[in-house]
Amino acid sequence: MNLWQITSFTLMAALAATLLMLPFGLLLAWVLARGQFRGRVLLDTLVSLPLVMPPVATGLLLLMLFAPRGPIGALLARVGIEVVFTRKAVVLAMAIMALPLFVRTARAGFEQVERRYEAVAATLGAPPWRVFLTVSLPLAAPSLIAATVLGFARSIGEFGATIVIAGSIPGSTRTLAVAIYSFAETGNDRAAVVLVAVSAAIAFAALWISTALAPGSGVRR
Amino acid sequence: MLAAFLLLAGLLQGSASPVTVSAAVSLTEALEDVAAAYRAAGGPQVAFNFAGSNVLARQIVNGAPVDVFISADEAQMEVVARAGLIAGGTRADVAGNTLVLVADARTSIRTLADLGNAEVRRIAIGDPAAVPAGAYARTYLEDIGLWQRLEPKIVPTTNVRAALTAVQNGSASAAFVYATDARVAPALKVVATIAGARAPRIVYPACVVRTSRQPAAAAAFVNFLRGSVAAAILARHGFAPPAAR
Repeated sequence: MNLWQITSFTLMAALAATLLMLPFGLLLAWVLARGQFRGRVLLDTLVSLPLVMPPVATGLLLLMLFAPRGPIGALLARVGIEVVFTRKAVVLAMAIMALPLFVRTARAGFEQVERRYEAVAATLGAPPWRVFLTVSLPLAAPSLIAATVLGFARSIGEFGATIVIAGSIPGSTRTLAVAIYSFAETGNDRAAVVLVAVSAAIAFAALWISTALAPGSGVRR
Repeated sequence: MLAAFLLLAGLLQGSASPVTVSAAVSLTEALEDVAAAYRAAGGPQVAFNFAGSNVLARQIVNGAPVDVFISADEAQMEVVARAGLIAGGTRADVAGNTLVLVADARTSIRTLADLGNAEVRRIAIGDPAAVPAGAYARTYLEDIGLWQRLEPKIVPTTNVRAALTAVQNGSASAAFVYATDARVAPALKVVATIAGARAPRIVYPACVVRTSRQPAAAAAFVNFLRGSVAAAILARHGFAPPAAR
């Protein structure tokens, strides 16, 4: 077992997944917190779906979409991009699973920003994007950072969707969570236990940071 | 409140407890037919738990309440044997099988050596560290001197059926599976059948698990598996009779 390789790959993939979902997540959280439009509840529900669906089901959906015979996979194959059983699949699965957690936390952060600050900025002539960048974003920053850390932590723990769409290829797509499963089912308990300790330590650190940064945690900022 | 409790109790308890059989996933269709025939012959209900034999062996060693174990190789049966969990005198081979190489119907693969070609990107096999079909495949590829060249292309899967699925949805170019699995996927092409002196000897040993709460019913099912009715069903699904030792 290459502990360092598995750990560093998992951290890098989780980081990539977090960066990938961040722009979409910020937009969705903002729209859901402030937008007034038809279908808002529908959008909210759709975004949250991966949070409550069995992760394996999410993985299967992704596999059906991204397999070389699937609608998206066929398009990507035409331009020479493979997803299934590659590291891209790991990042994709992590990003999809982290998104709802991020959106829910970030949205609460945006909702706590007092509307009158945004209104004042708007009356002073700032267009909506400028209100967002200079008022809402900085004021919601602690929540957004907490949401990002939470999404990152969720990515590290992602298993169900990953095993379906990325598999468990040693030295390639095998993440901490998948490696624990693979080692446990092949009878390599010692390796599994070491990886359990590593992932527990990472999860502990991530949750600690996320909680300490969340508004109302009582930690002085 | 009481109704809810009774409902919950009913869900958890089930009715008359069936014989629980943990069996190698490659046996899925055949054993479901065997169980139906067993019922028709007046036998009790049989509940199956299908997975890779290594997963099943681990579950049993960790105390899963299983009555009968049917493995796809000796190695995983040995895992249960070493834990002292085989009921004395109940171990018996119930079927045999053959390893084949399957690929998409439009494949350019004609022989095993073609697996080294550049257009063959991924080869799916059960995780060779423990999944029987993968272990058989790896041992054979090592014997014929192809393993080192093919290893970078190997995608290990959690069981043999997952390897089959990977070829079906186009994620892998080819897979080593059992001849019986290939029959379940008629859209795929059997490129090669592994035969000859170096071919793995594939047997399915069965046993009654020592901790079974209904050892008599469990032994009865194992006996039924070794009988002529089950043999005919297994043969119809493409399984070979267990080879003589």
